Amino acid sequence: MLSVSNATKIFFAGMPDEKKALADVNLVLRKCEFCIVIGSNGAGKSSLLNAIAGKLLLDTGKIAIAKKDVTHLSVHKRAQHLARVFQDPLAGTAASMTVAENLLLADLRGKRKHFSPGLTKKRRRQYEEKLSILGLGLEERLNTPVELLSGGQRQSLALIMAVSNSPQILLLDEHTAALDPLTADIVMNATIRTVERFGLTTLMVTHNMQHAVDYGTRIVMMSSGKIKLEIAGEQKTGITVGDLVSQFSVKNDKVLLQECRV
Amino acid sequence: MFDIILPILESYFALIPVTLAQSLILSFVVLGIMLPFRILSFPDLTSEGAYPFGGCVCAVLISNGMDPVVAIIVAMGCGFIAGCSTAFIHLRFGINTLLAGILILTMLYSINLRIMGRSNMSILGSESIYSLINPLNPNSYGVKIGLVGIAVIVILVVLKLFFSTEHGITFRAVGANAEMSEAQGINVWRITIIGVGAASAFSALAGALMIQSQGFADVNMGFGILINGLASLIIGEAITGRNTVWKQLLAPFLGALTYYQLVSLCLAAGLPPPDLKFATGFFVLLMLALPSLKRKGMLPERVKIRE
Repeated sequence: MLSVSNATKIFFAGMPDEKKALADVNLVLRKCEFCIVIGSNGAGKSSLLNAIAGKLLLDTGKIAIAKKDVTHLSVHKRAQHLARVFQDPLAGTAASMTVAENLLLADLRGKRKHFSPGLTKKRRRQYEEKLSILGLGLEERLNTPVELLSGGQRQSLALIMAVSNSPQILLLDEHTAALDPLTADIVMNATIRTVERFGLTTLMVTHNMQHAVDYGTRIVMMSSGKIKLEIAGEQKTGITVGDLVSQFSVKNDKVLLQECRV
Repeated sequence: MFDIILPILESYFALIPVTLAQSLILSFVVLGIMLPFRILSFPDLTSEGAYPFGGCVCAVLISNGMDPVVAIIVAMGCGFIAGCSTAFIHLRFGINTLLAGILILTMLYSINLRIMGRSNMSILGSESIYSLINPLNPNSYGVKIGLVGIAVIVILVVLKLFFSTEHGITFRAVGANAEMSEAQGINVWRITIIGVGAASAFSALAGALMIQSQGFADVNMGFGILINGLASLIIGEAITGRNTVWKQLLAPFLGALTYYQLVSLCLAAGLPPPDLKFATGFFVLLMLALPSLKRKGMLPERVKIRE
């Protein structure tokens, strides 16, 4: 479904502070796969997500979604293939617009727009139905401006917006990191429910090792712009948080040593 | 007491028709300021250039015998291009929206002089949109108020309908959160360019209607129009509020009507005309400062604009 091949992105190339954000990254996601990306800060996780979303154009390499080459497509053109939930709850929704209007925007993603009325009765009913999946009572607040919702509610809304018209790829960028533990759980549960219900191909970046252990079909660990470790299948079922964390330090120390030698 | 107030009121009432006609025409400039500022979060100064641009283009066309309606449409098209240029400069080169507007309005001044060949031009005696309606008495304020009033209502209704369509909601989304709009598949460049262009087209429309009403065009006719428009918008928003699209759309028109009546009242009461700009500027400053003055001891929130 998603294939990233030989993706490379170097910032400040040739300068003393040259930074390899992505160094020859290869990643293939089959349909309905739920891949979790972990790694320390600056490992290239966000760069990978940004590259897939089109926010970051690659120096070299190729990105294809459902066999269609999207390497050179702009963000808004790629949006018809993929949806994204940002870390910041404020980023994924339009604050001054109502819940229903935000859902309408998501509903129209990648579709041809017309001069016909946007928020029809039929659409409102559909949106109420979609929001009721969350169980947060948002379905009764369709006409509330989003700025009046709490962070957790906004993030849940952003999630529903992202999955609303079954994108081919769902990108989750540490989408529970800015929430309190309880709300994070609610949003994470809603994520799992919707991903399973719609059978979405998902790529999730997280710092929460418990989430990485509990959910998903594959774990990818990144470091210095490279994929250092992949855990899938049976290996994935037996793994614990401790195992993951130990991998972290080992990998990081190795990197540190290598850098020292250089 | 009465012998002071009575002559003031008398001269004020005598001014009402002319002020009303003027403010209806200028309400399109206020609309041209409001649309980028409030809907697209793109504070824009192009209207100060687009208004005289529309006027000068229209004056030259009419004096060369072109049909006034066609001349107005061409003037609006020119205003549209001016607005598109401002938006493009901002998007492509990352120049601040306000500076982009100043660049365009400065360049338009030369263009206006080039188009007219001189600094002002009379079109008295030529056909105008008002004389098409009432050939016998084209200068009657009734005709002007009626014609422009109908145009105002039509444009208000059309805009209201537009903003509730699928296309309309994308414009509001770009202003509310540009990055999110992009992620939702909206072409932010296209929406911004069309939106700012359309706003300047409305400013140019005001210029074209104004020169036909007053019978001449002048390259300096736009001087200070922006601050008047901003004052009108602020008054309008104080009257209507801003929490729905309909209120936001009504604000420029109600604001323009109120503001120009206030100005006319001040002039009738003996405010020396040279002091008018200072008074207007001070009023706008006061209205903008009010929210932060009310919140004692707290630094004002940083206004989120596109840099």
